[in-house]
Amino acid sequence: MYPIWEVPNLSAGIILALIAAFHILPSHLSTSAMWFNVYVETKAYRENRPELLEFIRKYSLLLLVFSYVLGSLSGIGIWYSATVANPRGISGLIHNYVWGWATEWVFFIIEVTGIFIYYYTLGKVDRKTHLKIGWIFAIGSWTTMVIIVGILAFMLSPGKWPETGNFFDGFFNQTYWSQLLMRTTLMFGIAAAYAIAVATRIKDADVRSFITKTASRWGIAGLILGCVLFLWYLKTLPDANRMLITALAPQGLKTGIIVSLGLLVLYFIYANVKPLTIRLFPAILAIAVLFGGIWSTERIREMIRKPYIIPQYMYSNQIIGKDVIAKGVSAEAKIINEKGLLKVAPFVPDGLREINEGNQVQAGKMIALIECSSCHVLDEKGLRAMPQMIRRLEFKPHAEAAEEVAEIEGFIDALGGYPYMPPFVGTSAEKRALATYLHSISRIK
Amino acid sequence: MEINTMLKALQDPMGIPFYPVVFQVLMVLTFALHIMFVNFTLGTSFLSVYGYLKGGENWGRLSRSLAKAATVNISMAMLLGVAPLLFVQVVYDPFWYASNTLSAAWVMGFIFIMMLGYSLTYVFYLKRDSREHHTISPLNKGGIKGGFGIVAFVLFLLSGIIMHALGYQLLQPEKWLQWYVRGNSVDTSGISLHAFQLPRFLHFIIPSFAMTGIFLMLYAWYFKNRTDFDKGYLEWVGRTGAKMAFTFTAIQAIVGFWWLFSLPGGFNFFTNPFFLIGAALGIALLVFLYNAQKDPVKYAVPGILGAFLTIFGMSYAREALRMKYLGRFDYSIFTYKLNIDWGSTALFLATFVMGLSIIGYLLSVAYKSGRVTGEYAATHSMNKWGKISIALLLIWIVVVAGLGVIISVRNYL
Ligand code: HEC
Ligand code: HEM
Repeated sequence: MYPIWEVPNLSAGIILALIAAFHILPSHLSTSAMWFNVYVETKAYRENRPELLEFIRKYSLLLLVFSYVLGSLSGIGIWYSATVANPRGISGLIHNYVWGWATEWVFFIIEVTGIFIYYYTLGKVDRKTHLKIGWIFAIGSWTTMVIIVGILAFMLSPGKWPETGNFFDGFFNQTYWSQLLMRTTLMFGIAAAYAIAVATRIKDADVRSFITKTASRWGIAGLILGCVLFLWYLKTLPDANRMLITALAPQGLKTGIIVSLGLLVLYFIYANVKPLTIRLFPAILAIAVLFGGIWSTERIREMIRKPYIIPQYMYSNQIIGKDVIAKGVSAEAKIINEKGLLKVAPFVPDGLREINEGNQVQAGKMIALIECSSCHVLDEKGLRAMPQMIRRLEFKPHAEAAEEVAEIEGFIDALGGYPYMPPFVGTSAEKRALATYLHSISRIK
Repeated sequence: MEINTMLKALQDPMGIPFYPVVFQVLMVLTFALHIMFVNFTLGTSFLSVYGYLKGGENWGRLSRSLAKAATVNISMAMLLGVAPLLFVQVVYDPFWYASNTLSAAWVMGFIFIMMLGYSLTYVFYLKRDSREHHTISPLNKGGIKGGFGIVAFVLFLLSGIIMHALGYQLLQPEKWLQWYVRGNSVDTSGISLHAFQLPRFLHFIIPSFAMTGIFLMLYAWYFKNRTDFDKGYLEWVGRTGAKMAFTFTAIQAIVGFWWLFSLPGGFNFFTNPFFLIGAALGIALLVFLYNAQKDPVKYAVPGILGAFLTIFGMSYAREALRMKYLGRFDYSIFTYKLNIDWGSTALFLATFVMGLSIIGYLLSVAYKSGRVTGEYAATHSMNKWGKISIALLLIWIVVVAGLGVIISVRNYL
């Protein structure tokens, strides 16, 4: 267990979520845009319509700058924020999937060199060669999705991995195919939304109308197929996770998905009928709506992973909850319950290794930092703020503080009964210390 | 808690999926590539602003090329930073994660600093272009637009400071608790950088100017057959580059000794074979660059190869130094628990070899098209290489998807 990073009112987890949400926009553009580009470029050459190349140039510049400046850096940002928010979680993933990521990296190099060369050699190399580069980029960048979906899906549904510990058993798990196909179809919808926005910047009315009409057709097809596959995806989810959708996901997010989907379909239909009336601002608005929809689905995907960071293995608070015999790893609850969390955790002040009257609240806070702060901020306000959570339990007001502390201890014992919280681990003295601390912060000051 | 015990406890219980030496070699190799492009980034972004502000026929033209080069160099530096980022977490996880979480705010700050720096580099490149096309009033010269470039350079330097601090903190586990603990509570803000060693930092930054000198020599060599490039200009670029390369390699040697002498006494690092090889390569490079002054163009290609070899040697010396630092606590990557996974290792190695061939094709197109004055028409063998590249990608997908189908059928049907 590593040092904890607290972000006032927000939590490190929210920083991660924000960066990950932003990353969606450039990353999905990068996997999808080039398919549209090669389609248009092929048409431009076959039908001898060089004016279409203006669109290609603009769309690839967007791709280059947006996806490969802000996109790559926000991708590295997800990794960095996961590192500081949940180092043991990312470590566990990396120690299983390092070769998966390394494989992904090979395609990442192909993508980056590909897009630079595609953009800078347009009109400077012969047509066939330029198209080849386009195809290499398009296939190569879709392949990054083939890989990353395996790891993403693993974080939700590890398949047979907990039993076998095998890379591919975890990779090709029960939600792999449904997620891959769903994301693949949706990505055409995303490419279409961007393409329409780029088309608004083009002067030639014929080109604009052609691009907008074509893109809107791609958009409608992508969204509708994506929806059907989304339903399949829901069916492939493990029961426990599906249950959490009902228990945890706020209605707002679910409405968000449906509303943004409906709006987008209408938008694409309108774009198809009246392509020349679309201006830049509404086109960007459509991308924002799309973002809202994706953001809602990704948030729900994150929520229903609770209480695990790596399912059937490590809890969100970085404590190993289950044995993985195939890898020779045992759960940590037993040893922590026996010896005490403050004894076995490395980054603990020496003065807290032994709990006594004088340091009880501080020891309790240290335990809360380690076991609870990944999901609750300890401040008065903020993400699932702990003082408010404790107050929500509405213990009867007692004359004696000790009785209230005892009731909180009872709650701590019951933690494991919640489907979304890990059980408490530690000695009974540590449980008392945690309860004392929780009691102290829950008083209204 | 004993530091040795603590480090063992922090190691990931999953073990590592292949022999540690493979991760080490890949880590050092990709780090060497990373730091080479970091050097190009710092050097080209500095010189592009310098030339812009200085003005004049030659500097103006060079500055324009370098501003464009900087945008590509940063991308490459990032791209090649990802791989050592991955591998260092595999074999040095206790150190990497402790150092990062202790300075978490800076770790996140690094991302935003990079985003801003990179965006400003593009602004500088694209905006100055528009100035030259429209040639507005001379009053506008330099000024604000140069400012974008300067700020970008400063931000990259700051990124380097953060990277260095993180890399240096991780070598000192004996100080971690003292950085984290405040009496009976802990400092969870992550807003401090705790360690900085000037000679070590400079040893990674000074070569920016030596490497960019070689970059300029390559520039003169690469464009020498283009009719739209002025001979006098290219000759000037080559000479300037060779001079820079030599001067800064000499300075670098001095910094190297400074660093060596500031290392903890017990290390006896000057007898370490990795260090000796690295240093010998460095001296050889210096002599080579001295000779290169006569004919920079001729020396350009062997120059970059020699320089990379030196960087690689030095990067291995840096790794050997890390083993010295961490050996104080009996930590060795070679005793890491193994959970060998042949399947995924094979997947990576095969993909890597395939990737080299495809990247080779892409780079050849870029290389060849830049050398001709007009439109480049691919030869028959280039066309073939292109087709093979696409076919390889498709075969990869078929093989992996096939594997996936087999496993899914076996596990779920
Ligand atoms: C895996 C994430 C996670 C961890 C770790 C976690 N919790 Fe929670 N906790 C939740 C979620 C999610 C809720 C539900 C919040 C809501 O309904 O808004 C919750 C609710 C609560 C509540 C309110 C319960 C109720 O019935 O309304 C309390 C009290 C609480 N947590 C205390 C703790 C304590 C104490 C710890 C540390 C020992 C802890 N939690 C660790 C996720 C977590
Ligand atoms: C232009 C911006 C950057 C600069 C100036 C820079 C500079 C440096 C320097 C000076 C070091 C050596 C530090 C030392 O050992 O003391 C280093 C190491 C490293 N950098 Fe960068 N870097 C930059 C961007 C990046 C990016 C974007 C990444 C991630 C993708 C990255 C990943 C790494 C890694 C993994 C190491 C090696 C860590 C180790 O082995 O201990 N760098 N960098």
